[in-house]
Amino acid sequence: MKRKGLGFYLRIYGKILAQDLKSKMSYRADFIISTIGMIFTNIAGFVSFWILFRNFPSINGWSYHEMLFLYGFSLVSLTPVQCFFDNNWSLRMYVYSGDFIKYCFRPINLFFYYQSEVFDIKGLGQLAFGLGTLIYSWTKIGLGFTPLILLKRVVFLLTASLIMIALQNASAATCFWIQNSFYVMDLVLKFKDYARYPITIFSPVFRFIFTFIMPIAFIAYYPSLVILRPNEVPLLSWLSPLIGCLFFWISYKFWMFGAMKYSGTGS
Amino acid sequence: MNLKKYLSLTRAGIMESLQFRLGTVVMVIGNLLYLIVVYFLWKAIYASAGTDVVNGMTFTDTLIYLVLATALFGFMEMYTVWEIGRNIQSGKIVLDLLKPMEYRRYLFWSYSGSFVTQFFFTFLPTFIIVGIVTHGAIPLGVNLLYFVISVVMAVSINYSIDFFVGTICLFTESIWGINIMKQVIVLLLSGATIPIAFFPEPLKTIVYYLPFQSIYNAPLTLLLDGDPKFETVITILGTQLIWCIVMTVLSTLFWKVSLRQITVNGG
Amino acid sequence: MSAIIQIKNVTKEFKVLNRREGLKGSLKDLFSRDYKIVRAVDNISMDIEQGEIVGYLGPNGAGKSTTIKMMTGVLEPTSGEILVGGNIPYQNRAKNAQEIGVVFGQRSQLWWALPLIESFKLLKDIYQISDSDYKSMMHLYQSLVDIEPLLHKPVRQMSLGQRTLSDILAAFLHNPKIVFLDEPTIGLDVSMKSKIRILINALNKEKNTTVILTTHDMGDVDALCRRIVIIDKGKMLYNNDIEHLKGFFGSYRTLKIRMDGDLKQQAEVIQKELPDFSVSADEEWISVLVDEEKSKVMEVLNQLQKSHEIRDMQLEEISTEDVIKKIYEEGVE
Repeated sequence: MKRKGLGFYLRIYGKILAQDLKSKMSYRADFIISTIGMIFTNIAGFVSFWILFRNFPSINGWSYHEMLFLYGFSLVSLTPVQCFFDNNWSLRMYVYSGDFIKYCFRPINLFFYYQSEVFDIKGLGQLAFGLGTLIYSWTKIGLGFTPLILLKRVVFLLTASLIMIALQNASAATCFWIQNSFYVMDLVLKFKDYARYPITIFSPVFRFIFTFIMPIAFIAYYPSLVILRPNEVPLLSWLSPLIGCLFFWISYKFWMFGAMKYSGTGS
Repeated sequence: MNLKKYLSLTRAGIMESLQFRLGTVVMVIGNLLYLIVVYFLWKAIYASAGTDVVNGMTFTDTLIYLVLATALFGFMEMYTVWEIGRNIQSGKIVLDLLKPMEYRRYLFWSYSGSFVTQFFFTFLPTFIIVGIVTHGAIPLGVNLLYFVISVVMAVSINYSIDFFVGTICLFTESIWGINIMKQVIVLLLSGATIPIAFFPEPLKTIVYYLPFQSIYNAPLTLLLDGDPKFETVITILGTQLIWCIVMTVLSTLFWKVSLRQITVNGG
Repeated sequence: MSAIIQIKNVTKEFKVLNRREGLKGSLKDLFSRDYKIVRAVDNISMDIEQGEIVGYLGPNGAGKSTTIKMMTGVLEPTSGEILVGGNIPYQNRAKNAQEIGVVFGQRSQLWWALPLIESFKLLKDIYQISDSDYKSMMHLYQSLVDIEPLLHKPVRQMSLGQRTLSDILAAFLHNPKIVFLDEPTIGLDVSMKSKIRILINALNKEKNTTVILTTHDMGDVDALCRRIVIIDKGKMLYNNDIEHLKGFFGSYRTLKIRMDGDLKQQAEVIQKELPDFSVSADEEWISVLVDEEKSKVMEVLNQLQKSHEIRDMQLEEISTEDVIKKIYEEGVE
């Protein structure tokens, strides 16, 4: 058997992705309606944000535009989970019906094979919204623009996205143990809405929880500080790329452990 | 109408939802977390506002309003659109249509078991806890009676909207897209995420002319008003009643017409 | 050469939740749970050689799927040893997967929305099949079945028969050493069944692929298997040639005779004359199940002719189906 390195997996992913897009096009109505639905979700998010904060010049020392920056940051960093890991939502159905077993017979990484099957283009709409917000608030705050800042931004965005991916992997994988993991996933899905608020509004106990137990503060807050408040960056912000990778790795192990334990219902 | 037939559906629904033990626990935790975030977020907002009353609502009012809106959401969300959509895709709808009950009623009563469990597991505990935590800020008087009447109509309006939207699934395969659009619109415009009192002026007026505010805003407004004016009560309940009738008729008609269309064209 | 599949004293146990009945029971389940251990596979041993087609039979819930899941590396045995092509499947799942192909009757493993040829191309990449191997396999397929019309059809638009055929072709595509077929002919019409049997036989001959076949259709067994393994309630009941199976209960043959008058009544009379054998009657025939170790069919026929007027007769070998049914019902003693 030939070695299966990164190149192999990238090639396979590219091919499966291309095929997935082709087959999506055969359900055009669904594609259009889902995209509109996604745009609706984003618009509604903005409207809520605007209604809530338009009356106040600042919340807890955070200006309107800084809050908007956090919001945009969270949208962008939540894009990869939407685009690349959307098949997690179907996991419980495959496990429940026993169809999950079909993924177990291929000579490639199970997690990869499963996630590669679906690429959700709708996430790209969210990405556009997020980038727009980010750039708008960026200019409004007057953050300046150097290649270094851009590089920082990209690195922190990418690693921040790993947090939500990790949370979703882990919550999806609970279906290997409990029947109705939908509630768990739905719960985690709600988390991402909280990621857009500065963690300083919470009491110390919940600051701790949202930093170390359900690390949603790493989706936008900590990584944003590096850009927004360059003079008062806590250690956790610098660590956030590492923490993103660590959480992703743990969630991957957890997912695989569940899949291995999985014995398939029915015959 | 033979009530026993419907009640046995209710009973089966209760048993089914109790099967998911962990699901129940997770759901309770999820709601708690959401409430915590809401609490701190609004606390920060009120602290920044510098006044005790914003848009005619105190912090406690807003909190009770949002907490109970969440509890009501858990109580009223019947995933009807999903259910109809999935039944259509799997073809199970044909079997359901053959049952000796009208489909609209059948679906409602199949789910009604969850009303009972949700009421005892989510709504009642939340209500009591909120009552205790806020030191009896919820007025306990005749407003409770208005609230109950209002909730019953809200359930009916919500179900009619869901059923109406679910009917669209007869024409398109996009369940996710349709459901997300509905959910986003209903949650925002009904005042479930932000009290309508906070909406800016032209938007507020428009929202009052739409059926959605009758779902969350109406019952909660009645509940929070300890000494309601007779006219206010009549206006709110009257508006609800009108929407109740209009939406029931609309959704029933739309279903019948669509079904005829589909059977004629052989969908 | 050692066997391609070696199974030694394999046992698999599951923990199963005892659900209580009724509304009260559901409430109780909410707070306390009561588990029991179920032994799905109980101390099974067998060896399977390269190139064999083995029928793996047993009633529903006998433990067939569990055994197959262990051989494919999806399940870990509770105790005992399994070697598939020298690998321990559970520990080297990916490596094992390269050597095997799997078809689960009703569950297509192909990409639902894609034309078959696109699925094949993806499999070619996933299994790292070389261009020349891929080409020669496609040539082989073209010579065996009329594959052209299938190749450009999305799997979701195929009939069940076409889908099963496609799934089987996909399972053989990377030229695996072993292919597991779980009820490949379930729900298919007669002509499709025979098409699929011919295909499996041809692929087995051509590539010397070992095939493990579970089925409830004895037609599959007769057409494909030289050897069968029967399990029930997790225990192995039988593991030998199919020919040997037929002699297992003594050499039975069924003598069918036709007579005038009420067959039911006459069957009762004959039963009294032949107390050693079981006699039954249907609309047309009276059947006598003759154990040839006790007396030959001809002797029985002669004896019957003395006292009855026989208008017609037929002789039937006992079918595999009858024997298997007997094993399921009575076990092997």
